[in-house]
Amino acid sequence: MAGATQLKSDALMEQMKLHMSTDAGKQLTKKIALVYQINIAPKKIGFNEKSFVVDLKKGEVKEGAYEDGKPDATFSFTDDDFVKVASGKMNPQIAFMRGAMKIKGSISAAQKFTPDIFPKPSKM
Amino acid sequence: MAMRELVSGGAACAVPGSSSSSNPLGALASVLIGSSSKTKERLQEIPTATATPPDGNFHASAEEPFAAALPGFEDEYSLHPNAQVSEFLGGFRPMDQSRFSDAWNDIQRPQIPHYQGRPGPSNFPLEQSRLQQDFDGPPQKVLSNFLHSFLHSGHGSMPFRPASLPVLGLSESDKQCIRDRSSIMARHLFADKSEDFIHTQVNALLSSLDIDNDIRARGPVPGRYPELEEYWNESQSMKPWSGGADGWVSEFAQQRVPRDDPNMWVQSFERQHGANGWASEFEHEHSQLASMDQMRATGVPNLAAMEQTRMLAHTLAQNNDPKFQNSKFLQFLSKMSRGEITVEDNQFKPAAISAPGDWAAEYEQQYSGGRSWADQFANEQLSQGPHGWANEFAAERGKHGLAGDEWVDEFSKLNVNDWSEEFERQVADGVLGDSSADNWANAYDDYLNEQAVLKQKSDSSRGVYVFSDLNPYVGRPNPLKEGQELFRKGLLSEAVLALEAEVLKNPDNAEGWRLLGIAHAENDDDQQAIAAMMRAHEVDPTNLEVLLALGVSHTNELEQAAALKYLYSWLRHHPKYGAIAPPDQPENLYYADVARLYNDAAKLSPDDADVHIVLGVLYNLSREYDRAIESFQTALKLKPRDYSLWNKLGATQANSVQSADAISAYQQALDLKPNYVRAWANMGISYANQGMYEDSIRYYVRALAMNPKADNAWQYLRISLSCASRNDMLEACDSRNLDILQKEFPL
Repeated sequence: MAGATQLKSDALMEQMKLHMSTDAGKQLTKKIALVYQINIAPKKIGFNEKSFVVDLKKGEVKEGAYEDGKPDATFSFTDDDFVKVASGKMNPQIAFMRGAMKIKGSISAAQKFTPDIFPKPSKM
Repeated sequence: MAMRELVSGGAACAVPGSSSSSNPLGALASVLIGSSSKTKERLQEIPTATATPPDGNFHASAEEPFAAALPGFEDEYSLHPNAQVSEFLGGFRPMDQSRFSDAWNDIQRPQIPHYQGRPGPSNFPLEQSRLQQDFDGPPQKVLSNFLHSFLHSGHGSMPFRPASLPVLGLSESDKQCIRDRSSIMARHLFADKSEDFIHTQVNALLSSLDIDNDIRARGPVPGRYPELEEYWNESQSMKPWSGGADGWVSEFAQQRVPRDDPNMWVQSFERQHGANGWASEFEHEHSQLASMDQMRATGVPNLAAMEQTRMLAHTLAQNNDPKFQNSKFLQFLSKMSRGEITVEDNQFKPAAISAPGDWAAEYEQQYSGGRSWADQFANEQLSQGPHGWANEFAAERGKHGLAGDEWVDEFSKLNVNDWSEEFERQVADGVLGDSSADNWANAYDDYLNEQAVLKQKSDSSRGVYVFSDLNPYVGRPNPLKEGQELFRKGLLSEAVLALEAEVLKNPDNAEGWRLLGIAHAENDDDQQAIAAMMRAHEVDPTNLEVLLALGVSHTNELEQAAALKYLYSWLRHHPKYGAIAPPDQPENLYYADVARLYNDAAKLSPDDADVHIVLGVLYNLSREYDRAIESFQTALKLKPRDYSLWNKLGATQANSVQSADAISAYQQALDLKPNYVRAWANMGISYANQGMYEDSIRYYVRALAMNPKADNAWQYLRISLSCASRNDMLEACDSRNLDILQKEFPL
């Protein structure tokens, strides 16, 4: 792993992946049951994006675009903004208004995308 | 000429039941022409400087096209989307069209000489007095004369006096028609007057006719949202980027296909409405120049954005929740729709008269070769003089054929990516739920607050240390000693103040900065911790504790590269292991290399707890949590009373979803250091991640009681409160009222 190209979001996604195996994570699949694709760009939305699929139907987090049809909603963020939204520093609606979050897909699905989906990182 | 009227369809005709959001031409034309009336107003407001109170609600004005969305029309329309033009046009006709257009045409006819021949003002008193006498007779005649006198009131700058009229028996749709037209016309007739004056005029007219001026504000219109939802779905099923605007274009195309010659539209429209429809008369004089100026000044993208916001603002204005109506958000959108605020670089800015935003410029580059089409369009409009926009448009299309399509396409591209359009759909959908409109309004207010906070904080986020105001320790003889003492006692926030006093006194005191950094880290404020440690690092670049602390803080902030740099530095500057590291720091540090070096160091001296600690941090960076846990546990055998080490172990366990273990590790840390804010906050996180929100709240509140400046904890607390359905406490959280929270959630 080359230091410079790492995304902060990788860490959060990794944690999310682990989180899906816990009881709280399994609750999410019952509560939300939607598939989100999240595109993360290092600096500017639309450039060098890395895609993750947060599948809250099956309870999986995977790298790469969704392949089994269409995700319920697709979000695009920059790395920093995704971290802010996932950690509750920025409310998704504000992110959307500032243009820090782009949405495609079902709006009702998008509205269930809230910061409490993601587990919070603990600090050393 | 009547094209203008046709195009702005719903507004000009004020058909009850028409929806101009479904009218591609209307939306298009409004972008090109509609906004101009607003510009005009603004331009007028400046020189006269008449007190025009900021109006949170929307003026009945040129925005009204979007008000015309009433149920009924949409259904009718969808029955024959490929309808003949006559039917399409028929959709715009009010039920009592003939009577009405007669009345209006009556009014307009005597006007023609005025507009063309500019008769002297001496005509007016005569006409006025004649009209005043004509308020008897059949309702139609009375109405006609009455409206006529309203029109004339503008020429003499005389306030329009309400008159008592016989009962005219106007239907609701008549009233709406009059209301719409008069408010739009007033803006043109009295373009040189103040907003107040216009309001007075319109109100006088409306009250004379017994028309309620704010009927429209009485509530959201059913049927509107399904319509938008439909559009959303429709747009989703199209090609990438081909959002709703594609829908417009195709609708536009459908409407266009039956008649190859656009002039036919105009003609057939004129047949129904008469060539001298009200709109065409004054539109030319007033809006042509304004629209051209505006296009040049702000660039087309901003126009489009304004248009989008206007639609959006209107959607929101339809929500009759008073809280929402008064929200800053709505006012903001209203401003934006009037071009008073523009979006540049994701920042909202007050409009600079002639500076097109970045993206305006981008647009220019993309779409213009030499002249942008806006200019071209404007110029051509100029050259063809008073025949009006519609003919221009038709002629243009006739001449260039394809070119017309092109700009429709380009226009649609512009809009598709526009956030406001998506936002409108969001809201349209969200309004279905009772409280979401509130959420949006709140979100905007939050956003404003956030902006204010960000301004204050921009310093600390840039790595500049932010000192507290009113520090009682400033001026004490030995603040460092006091700081160390307070730190040992676990009074972190007090220690911070004392240490700040120390580094203010001795800015080169590395120990002061270091301890300050540690205090902030333990207080769960990594931004300040990093800022302080950076200062310590400047003063003493080889201090190992500082290097380790910086490595840990950057790891917490998920900043890999920075963390790796400091952890590598730690090894290089270590008296014992410095030799292991190659003397030249490589330009790009690779995690694997650094980890290998530390493993070598650990073999060299397996009893050095520090090496194991750094290894643990490194494994956190690479998310090899099992190894990290192993390293920390090894270190803890050597240093069992290091509370920060227990916390590191706990955090690592928590991040690898071993929450139960994490909680017992945190408990160890707290036994050793009861005021360890970070460990309290981490406890909260662990409970929250297990879905035990009530418990997490108690720990967050505890952490915050010790350090109310721990922003992360406030954010997490908010999330836990809403997950625990304790929305009743959100206000206390937002206002950071710890008294209430502590009473409610004792630990």
